[in-house]
Amino acid sequence: MTVSVLGELLITAGLVLGLFVVYSLWWTNVIADRAANRQADKVRDHWAQGDGGTGGPGALDTKDGIGFLHVPAMKNGEVLVEKGTSTKVLNDGVAGYYTDPVKAVLPTSGKEGNFSLAAHRDGHGAKFHNIDKLKKGDPIVFETKDKWYVYKVYAVLPETSKYNVDVLAQVPKESGKKKPGHYITLTTCTPVFTSRYRYVVWGELVRVDQVDSERTEPAELR
Amino acid sequence: MGYGRDGMYGWIWRHLPGNAWIKALTSIVLVLAVVYVLFQYVFPWAEPLLPFNDVTVDNS
Repeated sequence: MTVSVLGELLITAGLVLGLFVVYSLWWTNVIADRAANRQADKVRDHWAQGDGGTGGPGALDTKDGIGFLHVPAMKNGEVLVEKGTSTKVLNDGVAGYYTDPVKAVLPTSGKEGNFSLAAHRDGHGAKFHNIDKLKKGDPIVFETKDKWYVYKVYAVLPETSKYNVDVLAQVPKESGKKKPGHYITLTTCTPVFTSRYRYVVWGELVRVDQVDSERTEPAELR
Repeated sequence: MGYGRDGMYGWIWRHLPGNAWIKALTSIVLVLAVVYVLFQYVFPWAEPLLPFNDVTVDNS
C-alpha cells in the first residue's frame, strides 16, 4: 500500500513538471503579451497626445518605454523597449536596454556608443525567439516618437559565455569594430529552452528618418 | 494507515461527500484549485531558481 502512494506521488510529480512546461512556454507568453500590449498602448497614447510639440531627448518618457524595435527577420511585429534588463522588466514581454553592467547609449542621445538590448528567447513573450533568423545585412529598426533609427546587422555571435560583458562595450571589439560608432547589440539566451550561452547580434546605424504625420514606415519595414 | 489499497487519491475520493457525480465535480474543482495555486504562486516562485530564462550577460 505504500507502493501505491509512492506511485501516485511520482505520477503527480510528472504531471506537475508537465504543467510547469505549459506554464513556461505558454502561460508566461499570455501574461507577458498582455502586459506588453498595455504598456505599448500607453506609449502610443503619450506620443499621440504630443505633450506640446516637444521632440528631442528631453521629452523622453522612460517609465513606460522609450520606443519600439522592429526586426522583420524575427517576424514578431513590434517590441516595446523599456529601461533595464531585470527579470521584472523583461517578464513583461518587452526588450530592455542595459543599465548594468555596461550602460547602453540610447540612439536618441545622438552620441556614439552601443545601444545594447536583451529580451527573452522563450516564455515571457519570447520576443527574441527568432534571433537566429537574423543574418548580416538584415535591418533592425528602432522607432521613437519622432525618429526611425535604421540599423543593419553586420556581425553575429551564435554562442558566447554569459559572463562575456565585452559584447556590450561601446565599441564591441568582438564584432570586428575598432572605431566608435552608433551600434546596436541584441542579446538573449541560447540554445532555445536553456540559458547555457548567450546569442549576440550586432548592428550599425545606417540612417535616421524623421517620422512623418502618417508614421510612414521606412522602406525596410514595408 | 487508512489509505487502503487504492492510494491517497482513492482515500480522498472515499472521503468526499455525496454521490459519484458530486464527488467528480468536487474533484474537478480541487484539481483546478491546485492548478491555479501552481500557476499563480508556485511556478512564478520556482522559475527564477531554475536556469532556463537568464538572457542577459553579466559579471555575477
